[in-house]
Amino acid sequence: MKKRGFGIGCMSYGIGNTGLPNPAGAFVDFLDDGTVIVLTGCADIGQGSSTILAQIAAETLGVAFEDVVVVAGDTGVTPDAGATSASRQTYISGNAVFEAARKARQEVIAGAAAVLGVPPEEINLKNGRVWHGEEPTSLSIKEVISKCRSEGILTLGHGWFNPATTRLDPATGQGIPYATYAFATQVAEVEVDTETGIVEVKRIVAAHDVGRAINPQNVEGQIESGCSMGIGYALLEEVVVKEGEIQNPAFSTYLMPTAMDVPEVYPIIVEELEPTGPYGAKGVGEPALVPTAAAITNAVADALGLRFYDLPLTPERVVAEIKKSREKKEDDGQ
Amino acid sequence: MAAFHLEMKVNGELVAVDIDPGMRLLDVLREVLHLTGTKEGCGEGECGACSVILDGELVDSCLVMAPQAYGKEVVTIEGVAALGQLHPLQEAFIEAGAVQCGFCTPGMILAAKVLLDHNPNPDRQEIARAISGNLCRCTGYSKIIKAVEIAASRIKAEAGAASD
Ligand code: FES
Ligand code: FES
Repeated sequence: MKKRGFGIGCMSYGIGNTGLPNPAGAFVDFLDDGTVIVLTGCADIGQGSSTILAQIAAETLGVAFEDVVVVAGDTGVTPDAGATSASRQTYISGNAVFEAARKARQEVIAGAAAVLGVPPEEINLKNGRVWHGEEPTSLSIKEVISKCRSEGILTLGHGWFNPATTRLDPATGQGIPYATYAFATQVAEVEVDTETGIVEVKRIVAAHDVGRAINPQNVEGQIESGCSMGIGYALLEEVVVKEGEIQNPAFSTYLMPTAMDVPEVYPIIVEELEPTGPYGAKGVGEPALVPTAAAITNAVADALGLRFYDLPLTPERVVAEIKKSREKKEDDGQ
Repeated sequence: MAAFHLEMKVNGELVAVDIDPGMRLLDVLREVLHLTGTKEGCGEGECGACSVILDGELVDSCLVMAPQAYGKEVVTIEGVAALGQLHPLQEAFIEAGAVQCGFCTPGMILAAKVLLDHNPNPDRQEIARAISGNLCRCTGYSKIIKAVEIAASRIKAEAGAASD
């Protein structure tokens, strides 16, 4: 028989570890032609940090995204940005790039103020142009850069960010461990075959508070992939170790989800702006995976009326639990 | 060991190379022809990162001995863009955000191409099945499936416009 169930999983997850120093640095420089180069130690492993850092620099400097080149994760030339881990790079390297870009922006504004003969506080940079108050002027940012260059003035900035290191109390382990938190709720719908024990995930709705979604398509991609990893964690993936040796070191024995195992995922982005984040952003990498297995396991419990305490929910485990509960019912004379 | 004289067509061009007959097609593509778009993931036919098209069929090039490709036609990811123009699948992958680390991408695109060559009108299930031999750890597959849907509808629209 096939039984359906729904389950919910909720989570909060710390972003920006404060127990130990956790800094990142960045350089931002305008080249002679008015394009921008960002140097960051932040390694983009596919999550899209280089795109996001380019967006932050472009927004801060008032130039087109296409005019920003990001040189990332090259220890020969880029400043340290710490690891791409702990869902920290958008928050931490994002702040470092924002700070570096803000300083370069001040240089450009000073140059523009000199050309226009107005106070720097009244100047804004937007859409490649210099603005005076709410009005665009005839002066482009590129013209300001070449003017500065002709006078030997460089328009660059460096920045770094470290969420205030607070250190935890060594005796109690108490303190303020993170600069901010991401929150999420996921709902899973499953179908369980009570004969074979196969659990099929039919749908996942995943609502994530990420602060500002600097690149919504990237955020969706992170959420969808987190759900897929969560499905693996809930149903498939188990490292079997015997006498110190991994017994299943191959994709045919350590199963991870294929396109056939992943249902439609409906990401919902909740933008609760984080005051200390770059443009209000936090992070989403790991949070996307955290609640999935709980939501699926709760959905299986809803379908079968049985609680599982070991993952993954392999067909063998599910069938064994169903059998155990049947036998128990018979023993109880039901 | 005597060298094996391998002749095959790769991305439309005739190739003749003398190789160690124990080489896999994957090695000839990457090491001899320097077509490094084809990736080696597992090396044992389980991940699909090394997928190429051999005489119209998707194969894991890590499981094909190079001499088996003699006289055949191989298409790698480098051969998918025609005359500097990206294939609709490649454009759709970029547009849909279907690429994260990119390691699975060449194989995914070739798997999807073989599907669309045979079935221009696939539903979600058929797409998922066609790429199910290609593992992706990064994307969760949603945007890849979306990209294939976008490409399928564009190819159909173009074919329709061409036949009008
Ligand atoms: S490298 Fe060939 S299938 Fe994994
Ligand atoms: S994009 Fe990284 S494995 Fe698919």
